[in-house]
Amino acid sequence: MHRASRARAAVLALTLLAACPGPEPERALGDFGPMAEGIYGDALGDPLPYATAEQRATFERGHAVALRRFARRDGLGPAFNVTFCAACHERPVTGGSSGLYRNFFLSGVETADGAFIPGFSAGDAGGVIRLYYYGDDYPARPPVPAETNVVTQRNAIPFFGVGLVAELDGAEIERRADPDDADGDGISGRVNYDRGFVGRFGRKAQTVSIEGFIRGPLFNHLGVTTDPLSEDQRAALPVDSSTPLVRGALLEHGRLLSRFAQAAAPDGPTLDDDGVADPELSTAELFDLVSFAMLLAPPRPEPRTALSQRGAEVFDQLDCDACHTPRVDGPRGPLPLFSDLLVHDMGPALADGIRMKDADGAEFRTQPLWGIAAVGPYLHDGRALTLAEAIAMHGGEAQPHADAFQALSADDAAALEDFLVSLGGRAQATPGLLPPGAPIPAVGAYGGPRRALTPAEEARFLAGRALFDADQGPEDGVGAPRMNGDSCRACHFDPVIGGSGPRGVNVVRHGILNADGRFVAPAVGTILHRETILRGDANRPQAEANIFELRQTPALFGLGLIDEIDEDAILANADPDDTRPPDGISGRVSWTDGGRIGRFGWKAQVPTVDEFTRDAVGAELGMTLPAVAGMTFGVLHDNDDVPDPELSAEDAQLISDYVRLLAPPPRQPASDPDAAARGEEVFAEVGCASCHVPTLPTVGGEDVALFSDLLLHEILPADAVGIEDTSANMRELRTAPLWGIAKTAPYLHDGSADTLEDAIAGHDGEAAAVRDAFDALPTADRAALLLFLGTL
Amino acid sequence: MIATRVTLLAAGLALLGACPGPDPAPTPHWAEAFDTTATGALSGVWGAAPDDVWIVGGRPGVAEIHHYDGAAWSEVAAPSDADLLVWVYGFASDDVLAVGVAGTVAHWDGATWTTLDSGTDADLWGVFGFGPDDVWIVGAAPAGDTVPTLLHYDGETFSPYALDPAQNSRSATSLFKVWGIDGTLFAVGQRGLVIRWDGQGWVETPAGAKADQDFVSLWGTAADHIVAVGGRNNARLATWDGTGWTTIAPTGIGGLNAVTMSAPDAAVVGGIYGWVGTFAPESGALEREDSLTNLDIHALWDDGAGRVYAVGGRFVGTFGGVALVRTLD
Repeated sequence: MHRASRARAAVLALTLLAACPGPEPERALGDFGPMAEGIYGDALGDPLPYATAEQRATFERGHAVALRRFARRDGLGPAFNVTFCAACHERPVTGGSSGLYRNFFLSGVETADGAFIPGFSAGDAGGVIRLYYYGDDYPARPPVPAETNVVTQRNAIPFFGVGLVAELDGAEIERRADPDDADGDGISGRVNYDRGFVGRFGRKAQTVSIEGFIRGPLFNHLGVTTDPLSEDQRAALPVDSSTPLVRGALLEHGRLLSRFAQAAAPDGPTLDDDGVADPELSTAELFDLVSFAMLLAPPRPEPRTALSQRGAEVFDQLDCDACHTPRVDGPRGPLPLFSDLLVHDMGPALADGIRMKDADGAEFRTQPLWGIAAVGPYLHDGRALTLAEAIAMHGGEAQPHADAFQALSADDAAALEDFLVSLGGRAQATPGLLPPGAPIPAVGAYGGPRRALTPAEEARFLAGRALFDADQGPEDGVGAPRMNGDSCRACHFDPVIGGSGPRGVNVVRHGILNADGRFVAPAVGTILHRETILRGDANRPQAEANIFELRQTPALFGLGLIDEIDEDAILANADPDDTRPPDGISGRVSWTDGGRIGRFGWKAQVPTVDEFTRDAVGAELGMTLPAVAGMTFGVLHDNDDVPDPELSAEDAQLISDYVRLLAPPPRQPASDPDAAARGEEVFAEVGCASCHVPTLPTVGGEDVALFSDLLLHEILPADAVGIEDTSANMRELRTAPLWGIAKTAPYLHDGSADTLEDAIAGHDGEAAAVRDAFDALPTADRAALLLFLGTL
Repeated sequence: MIATRVTLLAAGLALLGACPGPDPAPTPHWAEAFDTTATGALSGVWGAAPDDVWIVGGRPGVAEIHHYDGAAWSEVAAPSDADLLVWVYGFASDDVLAVGVAGTVAHWDGATWTTLDSGTDADLWGVFGFGPDDVWIVGAAPAGDTVPTLLHYDGETFSPYALDPAQNSRSATSLFKVWGIDGTLFAVGQRGLVIRWDGQGWVETPAGAKADQDFVSLWGTAADHIVAVGGRNNARLATWDGTGWTTIAPTGIGGLNAVTMSAPDAAVVGGIYGWVGTFAPESGALEREDSLTNLDIHALWDDGAGRVYAVGGRFVGTFGGVALVRTLD
């Protein structure tokens, strides 16, 4: 390896051999030389400063595509992990990384003759395990085939500066390769190739083209099909990715490899069978999305301070620059990439067994360090929550450097970390998704409090929100060993923190329908988690499980008001034997333990907001809580190494109080108030209001316009099988509150309905007659009803 | 000073020139076989003789056939009901088979090309036979199936062969080519699957750890000198020595699609982005030759008389073709 820190020799010979490569010029410790100017954004998420006005417009459109929530009718699935690009590339802004909760599973089969074949998951997705499925061929959680014997996790990789990396000549990367460690410094470095071109993107540098790096995940994670960009579109990208057809002219191979690298994207369409015509994303949208990625600027490095200067010197002394090459020469000048873009053996502890292109199971690309401050957690699977942890976990070729780091004085270690943070993104770093200093929304607004807060309440609201938002790590006890999220916000963020969640964070419940037709809960409980902290574990369900049911994340807005609803008001609507009157609609109270009325959850299985919090902390985050008098929900002990309780009662109460103070969803103005008023009448006339009772009073007499009776009704088809929970049978669900429904698509407990019309059509059982009445309405009345629902 | 150096250099070259030595290696020279600006993608080439060469290809829904008679290339009428043709192989100047998309099988009887009812609508990627009554055709899995298509043709009837899933450890759903010599017959396909006909059935013949990407084509000179090439992404080359396969993964070379051989240690290989070159199975050495295209090379065929044909093209979007011929100067 060429390392500037080793270039201490005189350069006299260079005057005689000017054309030959020689040692790099002498420099001071920690001085990595001048870098390119005019390539940085003021903040992560900014476009490259030299982008033209037209490119900036494309950038904005591409950003919108990255945020676009794909519905089933748009082509989502049938197998998928998430519903939009920014689901995984969200922190600190679109294009970044994400917390552990967005880790995806990557799998493979190591055959008897030693070959590695990407694993299957409801089809071929390049080894990506898909967590959700809508359709008939697989259950809602597709199985991981028995022959899959290699499983790992991947944390989302940030996109900042990738356009500049795309511009790099492959030779600039190849020149640092030292596959056989010829210079004997213990650091090798191999090029990974993609279609013969120098790979540079991905955890294993397995991809050369940005178009390819986007089209693959669109299919593998969203189930969204695309066609390749046209030649004209590729030529118009911010980084020219065209490959003009050459036929009959001598073609020099080296020029081809450098000139046409970005063209080396898959040239075939992706196809699926979800009933939506392919391609499901137009090439115009794909062009915008690829342009957005190419235009995402790297952050501007901070000016050196005494501390970061010392850190740079330590970085140099530790030879971190042996792989984290500070300068990589691109057409716009030296890029402060701090990566050689080569793959290195990182040792058995980090090895994941996944082979990608020419990289083996222990090799990983040197992660670029620009913007590293704001894109944790770190390493390929996010196992390191801090930079210090990440450095300490370096193994293999980097083991001596990790050892040297651990031998540093505390001051030098802190200086090194400060230097790394100074490479950009510090001001945007956040433990969750809220930007630092995010204000409290107005009273009554989405995410705001339900009433004016006292200063003390405001402080508590902010503290609770911060806790709700912050990612918890395995060292905090999250995942024991499985989890659905590593924070409350992980699932509750639509349209703002505290809200609902898209299909990509659906909870999967599972169970066993035995030979007698009876429901049996699996030994691990009915939740089949999305994530696990167990490395190499595919999160397979219990073998006997044969019922899989999706559950949408409910919004938490207004829960405090529901908490206060008078029990008598709930009881007054109950009609378990359908005698008051005998109209085909019953309605049962969900009695939970201790004789409390369940009012939260799809099966009304939880009685209070406090219990709801405790239940979620245990069941979704995998964290333990202390016992609290009067509380029966929550997990008190688990089998990880973190002492119990992992979350204090005070912190749980902070979260609860934050949720309790969240305002109900604000009503939306109707585009046609008269029609909306008519819709409200129709709502009552056709019988919706029989279950979706417009208001229930609190014990204090305040009307809560939640549009629910909080009772259980059988609304699934007679032959449906589902999950039993508490007192709810397989076909019973709580009447879902309709407030905020305008912003909580998709609908129904399993998120199977894209639209309100689909949701109404999905009602059966007790609600079949009402559904039929809706179907029989005149067109204008149907439209009016839907308009009214949109105002909620 | 400069003049002196030139003089010395010239003298040295003169001395070298006067010394007897091995004949210089012939220089490969690639040229366009014919004008392909209006053709579809070209994907298969085979000849009954140096003056009787067929190239097949086309566009989705349309077959295209070109013929060389020793003097000129001409387009020959393809059957109107034939889809895009992928591969061609024959036994005589009046007995040639071509296979293609959507179950297409076409036959040349010396006068016309006509389609045969293959009994499948699966895409057919390869055809080979030890004789007109012992032909194997391979391709993608039929709709709804999970194993590749294998058809045997005895000159009259197409018989599907159901590959035992136990002989498909890589869960491949396509076989791309089939080829044999001296009674040894292999088929290669997706995810590095290699199967061999043992006289009774097709048996998986594992090709090792590097056989992790598609094998696309194969050729050989003897039952113990066979080369398979592939690697949709990066190149993979496997050699069969009569007892086992050895697969290598050279770095920096994109996927290979095509191979032809005229000598045991001299294969010509071709692949994506116009890559053409030679491969020496004994040493594993690969040498690139300057080609005339960045279109994918899909098939190669050595006419045994000093010419190697390469055909390929663009197989998505606007289909286009390229046909090259290599001679040694």
